[in-house]
Amino acid sequence: MTPTQKSEAKWGLLFVAPTIIGLLVLNLYPIANTIYQSFFKTGDFGKGNIFIGLANYQKVLSSQETWQALWNTVKYALIEVPFGVVIALLLAVLLNKKIGGRSVYRTIFFLPMVCAPAAVAMVWKWLYNTQFGLLNNVLHTKVAWISDPKIAWISIGIIGVWSIIGYNMVLFIGGLQEIPGDYYEAADIDGASGVRQFFSITVPLLSPTTFFIVQTRIIGALTIFDLMFMVMDKTNVALPKVQSIVYLFYQYAFTNGNKGYGATLVVILLLFIMLLTWILQRAEKKIVYHN
Amino acid sequence: MRAKRLFSAALACGLAAGLTLGSPVSAAAEYSVSELQVNIWDNNQREGLQQIADAWTETSGVKVNINVVDWDNYWTLLEAGASGGQMPDVFWMHSNTAQMYMENDLLLNLDDYIAADDAIDLSNYYQGIVDLYNSGGVQYALPKDHDTIALLYNKALFDKYGVEYPTDDWTWEDVQAAAAAITEAGASDGVYGYAINTSNNQDGWYNIIYDYGAQVITDDHKGTTIGSEEGKAAMEMMRQILEVAAPQITVAETGTDSLFMSGLAAMITQGSWMINTFYKGEHSADYAWAMLPYHDANGNGTCDEGERYSAYNGLGWAASYNTADPDAAYSLISYFCNEENQKKQAELGVTMAGMIGVSEEFANAFPGMDVSAFTRAEEEASLFFRPYTRNTTIWEDALQQAGGFLDPWQDPSDPAKMAAACDNAQQIIENAIANE
Repeated sequence: MTPTQKSEAKWGLLFVAPTIIGLLVLNLYPIANTIYQSFFKTGDFGKGNIFIGLANYQKVLSSQETWQALWNTVKYALIEVPFGVVIALLLAVLLNKKIGGRSVYRTIFFLPMVCAPAAVAMVWKWLYNTQFGLLNNVLHTKVAWISDPKIAWISIGIIGVWSIIGYNMVLFIGGLQEIPGDYYEAADIDGASGVRQFFSITVPLLSPTTFFIVQTRIIGALTIFDLMFMVMDKTNVALPKVQSIVYLFYQYAFTNGNKGYGATLVVILLLFIMLLTWILQRAEKKIVYHN
Repeated sequence: MRAKRLFSAALACGLAAGLTLGSPVSAAAEYSVSELQVNIWDNNQREGLQQIADAWTETSGVKVNINVVDWDNYWTLLEAGASGGQMPDVFWMHSNTAQMYMENDLLLNLDDYIAADDAIDLSNYYQGIVDLYNSGGVQYALPKDHDTIALLYNKALFDKYGVEYPTDDWTWEDVQAAAAAITEAGASDGVYGYAINTSNNQDGWYNIIYDYGAQVITDDHKGTTIGSEEGKAAMEMMRQILEVAAPQITVAETGTDSLFMSGLAAMITQGSWMINTFYKGEHSADYAWAMLPYHDANGNGTCDEGERYSAYNGLGWAASYNTADPDAAYSLISYFCNEENQKKQAELGVTMAGMIGVSEEFANAFPGMDVSAFTRAEEEASLFFRPYTRNTTIWEDALQQAGGFLDPWQDPSDPAKMAAACDNAQQIIENAIANE
């Protein structure tokens, strides 16, 4: 390294230091600590931890509840990610055209993102209310949207989709604006229909954005907690069929004060997410189109 | 650029000045601090308590800053503070968690202070509350208040469907009959005679269990008789009420209090800590309280000793083990708990007192609403302390959910389900205690 490069590297490091320190203190240390705690029967207030090896893992993995919660989480992701992406993409394409009131629509669709998640959940909770909810009143039905174990997970998933569409849409609009207009002009001259243009130009050229959204949303969906926590009462009969892994973690770590067991649950979730991310990264080369 | 630099220089100077100015001006009286941080979780009580605290400030020169943190966050915050050694100076303790905090020496040992304090004599307070905040012979908190349970009913609904108002002589069978009549007559209006969820324990079904002679947690805190014949008989009575009450889905989604305040449930049971909510309700003129119903065990038609129980619980005023000035912290606690301010607390309608026999004024704190059912419970009913063990929440939550009482609540028509739930509950509690 020349002296200039050295000095540049030094300054560079200095400038990213706040981020590095932040990551170390706020992310890496807690992760290490969580993994450490998962091998202990934790005492109150972080005192008196007893090392118990893999006993927590044994208990967590042999518990029916864990697998049900993991399945619930995956089911939620199966609703939120595909629908959240497809609907957002369609909206983005529509709102990328020069139509009247475009920015008004963009604002409206982005609004759920600006609202506090707790407030969103409370409003939906009342919309879904079996007896007094707006939904059942308008539809003249008596559906127990959030208390019927068969459909409660779908109802929760719908809230997730509604909340995330705006955010995904903004990312898609950003991606769309990077596609050069020449392609569409050439396609027009060749007589390609709008639908054909969408599938042959927009979808492939947008694939890096799509991939980014899908990957981050999968992780986001797998760590879902607030929707179930806010919308469903502790005595809701459908709760066992809807509660996510993080909900279960909260229950054990904070309500029951069993931090070791809670830590084990999130370590397992971490491994699961790492595995999925690895598979996705491998698949990236095959499904993402780089021009 | 220059302007920016000047601006940041000015900002830095301002900050430095703020730091020096902000440092505590030495306290007026004998205490080494100028301010105490107090944490509570009930906003309804803040105003009244601040009034009492301000009176203390006049004598001590120490400012009292009362912060309200909602119930869930209160405990998260306190636990994080306890782990990091940063707790508020003075704060509330509750039966769910007291044992854990006491065993870990996180609360100030009050023994020497109490011994030297003429204003406090522990025998004047409710024994259950004193015992609760005593661990290994050491007193860690002073009783702040006590609460009892009563039956709340909506007079307008009783009038509308032509049913007699509940009285203090009602048995649970009377409640069942009235609930049945109102639920039937009110079906077209969506009105239910009664509403109770599995989570209404202390303020609900626990009381019936004691009326019938069983105990959710036995006196030594080491067992339960919820699965006994008496426990099953009590929950069978509960089941018959559930058959004519609002369905569990409705109470879980809407909440019993909301149902009642929307005029859709004619009767619920509630604790004295909730009076303010109903007192300030839009239709509060229609609301009235009666004592909890009783179980006529000997069948003589009157309520005898041991036939009517109400749960009671009491918060404690505790101080942090590492508070900057333990003398000041104790002085404030003692001030909250002395006879004069226990009376004042009742008078202001904050809560009933932790001291025995000074709560009559509480009944007059709500003009236009007769809340004497809560104070009369002390003489005319037997009180049992809110059931607790070291890790109360573990079994308490499990009893409310599937595998516990949620099953019979979902399907109250089947007596076998309720009996099975009592057996499960026995098992759940015993397992939880075994793991404590």
